[in-house]
Amino acid sequence: MMIENIGARTIESIGNIGKFNRFAGRATSASLQSCFHPKSLPLIWTQMNVIGVRSVPVVMVTGAFVGMILAINAYDQLAGMGLEERLGVLINIAVVKELGPVLAAVMLAGRVGGALTAELGTMNVTEQIAAVQSMGTDPVKYLVAPRVLACLLLTPVLILYADLLGILGGYFVSVMHFGINSRAYWDFSAQGVELWDVCIGVIKGFFFGAAIAIISCYKGFTCREGAQGVGEACTEAFVGSFISILFLNFVFALVAKAIYSTFWTVQPLL
Amino acid sequence: MEFNLQHEVNKNDGAIVIRNLVKKYDKHVVLDNISLVAKEGETTVIIGPSGCGKTVLMKHMIVLERPTSGEVYFRGQRIDELSENELVPVRTQYGFLFQGGALFDSLSVYENIIFAIRQHRKITDWKEVDELVKDRLAMVGMDGYQEHYPANLSGGQQKRVALARAIALEPYIILYDEPTTGLDPIRSDVINELILKLKRELQVTSVVVTHDMKSAYKIADRIVMLHEGHILADGDAEHIRNHPHPVVQSFIHGRLSEAELEALRHGGTKFKTQYNPEDFEPAEPV
Repeated sequence: MMIENIGARTIESIGNIGKFNRFAGRATSASLQSCFHPKSLPLIWTQMNVIGVRSVPVVMVTGAFVGMILAINAYDQLAGMGLEERLGVLINIAVVKELGPVLAAVMLAGRVGGALTAELGTMNVTEQIAAVQSMGTDPVKYLVAPRVLACLLLTPVLILYADLLGILGGYFVSVMHFGINSRAYWDFSAQGVELWDVCIGVIKGFFFGAAIAIISCYKGFTCREGAQGVGEACTEAFVGSFISILFLNFVFALVAKAIYSTFWTVQPLL
Repeated sequence: MEFNLQHEVNKNDGAIVIRNLVKKYDKHVVLDNISLVAKEGETTVIIGPSGCGKTVLMKHMIVLERPTSGEVYFRGQRIDELSENELVPVRTQYGFLFQGGALFDSLSVYENIIFAIRQHRKITDWKEVDELVKDRLAMVGMDGYQEHYPANLSGGQQKRVALARAIALEPYIILYDEPTTGLDPIRSDVINELILKLKRELQVTSVVVTHDMKSAYKIADRIVMLHEGHILADGDAEHIRNHPHPVVQSFIHGRLSEAELEALRHGGTKFKTQYNPEDFEPAEPV
């Protein structure tokens, strides 16, 4: 009986992975087609406003608090060694490379991912997705592609906002509160933070954005009927997006380290 | 009415031909070897108890569901094997009225109605589109509601707008999924009259899924009764009224069979014996 259950669950899981991959493939192909389709542009524009513009305040607040908290927690350790002027390096590297992108993406997974799943899930339950299909329109192209493109394009921009506010938040606490010399703070930061660090954080944003949108849309498209079904789909979408963000971040850390040590260090020679 | 289509299906056999259709969800068989023809210009009404597979059968007609086995033809063309892209020109010849209307709640009534036009035609003259929307809404008695949103409309109004949306592209065939469910008798009759009006004015073929017998008798050229995944009866209203099968009689008169009544009574007795009021002492008068 137990073996039978394990077998059934394994088959179900493999089936679900297959279904998700097919959906992700369709979403990617529909998104590529939409880029060159003038009719899709208003839809993408609308989603950019909903997903991107309205997320700016919340992402900026997240970034600012990350920077300020880092400054408060790291000051004592560095001050103990007389290195408090190097606080900026620590804060800014952590913000632009890891904490800014990851926390901004987690915030988007909650704000945007939840909304996408709830919206598409409700459309699914009330047969609006079937209605789109019955009128000869591909629902993936009409509903998923604009959301994926908006998330994909705007998550990196939102990460820049989070980075900016994180840097300013860290500066504010370090200079205004702890009295670190402003010039020294910026000089050490400029020496420690490379363009590479900022780029890697922003590049992550494309992948985080795509992952959040595809997972959230998939959960909306496959949600069970009823209020409970939509609620469960939203929870699963957030958990799925969150795990994906952490996993992608880990993969990025490995890949980025390999690329950096291979190419970036020889940049001065070139 | 006997169904016999052993030859290759062609355009003259009917607007929709379904042959030996089986639909299973995992091991559960919902439709078991269904064969059915919806003739051109006729209104075919599919009746049957809730959960018997009527809506699933209707969704196969527009390939929103794919059969486990069997064939679906639209005007002689096999459609159940077509890809989603190949289905686009087929689906634009359909109008589908969903049970709950399925209006897009982020779009206004006007935007809902022009949805299919916007997707499939290049709009050059917006005045013409405005006129078309006005005309379609007037047909269902909803002209003037163009700027309203679905959330601000009643259930009956939503169904009428959904009907206007279904006929926006002048479909060849309209599928109605329980068009009168959830409406009061007057609104139900409005929908019935609209179905008859559309048939008269647009000469469309219609397939209606319902369990409202009053509606079925009023609009049907032919009634098909579905029961537990099988077709139990197929014929005109008179044929169905006089059908000898007890399940058909029980359904059309809305009465339980003796066996079902007995089962219900038996269940009630069992309930009574568990919680027999006589076992409890009467409360003391205050």
